[in-house]
Amino acid sequence: MAKNISRRRFLKNAVVGGVALGTGLGSYRVTYGQAKKPAGPIKIGGQGAISGAHADYGWQMMAGATLAIEEVNAKGGILGRKLEMKFMDEELKPATAVKNARYLVTDWGADFLFGVDSSGSAMALGPVLAELNRLHFFCHAATHRLTEELVAQRGIPQIFRMVAPVYQDALAAWVFKDNPEIKRWAGINCDYEYGYVAWNLFKENIKKFRPDVEFVAAAWAPFWTMDFSSHIAAVMAEKPDAIFATPWAGEGVMLLRQALMLGVFDKIHAWWQGMGGSVDLLEGLSREIEGDKFKGKLWATARYIHNYPVSPENKAFVDGFRKRWGKYPNYSAEASYSTIYTIKAGAEKAKSLDREKVGAALEGIELKTPAGVRLIRKADHQAVYTVPAGRATKSPDYTIPILSDLRVIPANEYFRHPPFTPVAATK
Amino acid sequence: MLEKLLFQSLIGLSLSMYLWLLAAGLTLVFGVLGVLNFAHGSLFMLGAYATFTLYGKLGLNFWFSILLSLISVGIIGAILERFFIRRIYEIDLPYQLILTFGFILVFDDLVKIIWGGVAMIPPMPSFLEGNLAILGRPYPIYNIFIIIAGVVVAIVLWLLLEKTWWGRMIRASASDREMASAIGINIPGLFTTVFIFAAMLAALGGALGTPVRVVAPGIGTAMIIQAFVITVIGGLGNLKGAFVGALIVGILTSFGILLFPVFELFIIFVVMAIVLLVKPEGLFGK
Repeated sequence: MAKNISRRRFLKNAVVGGVALGTGLGSYRVTYGQAKKPAGPIKIGGQGAISGAHADYGWQMMAGATLAIEEVNAKGGILGRKLEMKFMDEELKPATAVKNARYLVTDWGADFLFGVDSSGSAMALGPVLAELNRLHFFCHAATHRLTEELVAQRGIPQIFRMVAPVYQDALAAWVFKDNPEIKRWAGINCDYEYGYVAWNLFKENIKKFRPDVEFVAAAWAPFWTMDFSSHIAAVMAEKPDAIFATPWAGEGVMLLRQALMLGVFDKIHAWWQGMGGSVDLLEGLSREIEGDKFKGKLWATARYIHNYPVSPENKAFVDGFRKRWGKYPNYSAEASYSTIYTIKAGAEKAKSLDREKVGAALEGIELKTPAGVRLIRKADHQAVYTVPAGRATKSPDYTIPILSDLRVIPANEYFRHPPFTPVAATK
Repeated sequence: MLEKLLFQSLIGLSLSMYLWLLAAGLTLVFGVLGVLNFAHGSLFMLGAYATFTLYGKLGLNFWFSILLSLISVGIIGAILERFFIRRIYEIDLPYQLILTFGFILVFDDLVKIIWGGVAMIPPMPSFLEGNLAILGRPYPIYNIFIIIAGVVVAIVLWLLLEKTWWGRMIRASASDREMASAIGINIPGLFTTVFIFAAMLAALGGALGTPVRVVAPGIGTAMIIQAFVITVIGGLGNLKGAFVGALIVGILTSFGILLFPVFELFIIFVVMAIVLLVKPEGLFGK
């Protein structure tokens, strides 16, 4: 037991060390004479946004991976070797992400990499990973181009994506196709790749089901938008029936609060908040959801929701996470947790920690994870699994609001498939 | 269309007021102390954090929290001026930039250490919830409150500077520091008070935004760029210019989102470029 605690403390220190480095407080310390001995720990380097309005995602990522590493280490590690993690702040800046990855591999000696919240950071990392030759498991960055272009087309084998990409946001097309009263759609979207692609994919898909829908307005909000009222007022001027929105994390909370202030929910039939099923949004809006301020019109999905699926794996994960951290896990936590187990599965299947062998072993593998069965597609290294959409509701069974009235559409229906046709990544 | 534009400009007006509170202090410090304070946005952020802690965490009264935040940020401002800024009045501008930029990093990291990096959102004070119908569309009461607060600050500032002895001393030392000193004005003391006052203005902007805007490290830096644009448009060191500049930037940003959603971010910079070409000293600059 004492051993267990000291390991936890050690991990915690490793994490805190990583945070200090990421904040720019600590200087990059290069330690010499740490050449990897075969019996040493397997080093896993992670990075995510752990500061700013999106910081909860990076924290969750770190928390999910920490939990999995503690569990795996308690059962003897991977192929007899313990795991060790360092986690850094990518600050949603591509240059920082690249710098971090280089530091983690070259100086710290990482065997595997994971994490990354920003699509921009992910795209910048792609080519660098080929050079560093480390498998990188992306746990949040959602741009389709990461897997479609960098893996399926350019063939960078080091990239794996554990999390549902931007295809998930377009699920709105399936959810609202049978609502004849919703004809006029407006978008309030992130003014960067994720927002453009989500909105374009949604438009493309809903048009297939419903040639009669119109897209009456679109407003674009960059990172660090603090006041969305101009965006909301601009799209509401066109009297839409429903709104499709992508701002996430703290910005999503602010957007919805400001929409309430502007009386939007008296005027529309539905609001789709792409990643509104994330724990931080549901928590940040719990007063409003409990008070039924959204009048049951707030619909959302996420890249995993903790109340789906009902399975022993999911229950064990959610219970373990809550016990360890006193919070519900969001999707970046589930993805990083599953990443550690995916590395384990790959290494055990390959009976080796050799990067090429592990990578090859993971192609086409099916894994039982908290989010359900994940199939890692061979062609694009994208994990395929189903996440439902639902209505933001207060439930007596949970301390924070959840998504309910779940609409489960199989991932194979709404994920894009190779060979890929181009999607515009522009406004 | 006219109604759409009018409503959009009302939304932009509330945006302008946060910018005005920030730009007012920035331009005041430049006009009087001759210091371009890059860290001014950090004081805005500290105001937001202090209010968040007092009001959102400790559950104190909203107004009392704002007051306490202003006082605490004022104290931080006093320390900044007395021990750091004061040492660089006489040396070149680049040193001011290095010092004040350094403080941005220090404050951002301090905030991360104390509050963590996660964005925080306190509840809305219930008496400011709800909306009124303006031009047939719901307009938030909170925005009305922000507009009134901004205008009140503008009037108070104007009265202070134009109608009081203190204001006269400030204007005197702004136009000629040596002469003011020769007639017996305590310049160092005056500079400290002006800096404190500017810090409190920034903190007020941050504090008023807490219930509706996100509180996170970096919000100051995100705002300060716009504040610089405002002071360039209005004329550095000119309060009237800062007010008009804030109105222009806030309302144009809001219009841009309605009219040119694809490239609205450019608009204020285009305006700034035009001002720089036509009247490089700013609309109200001398």
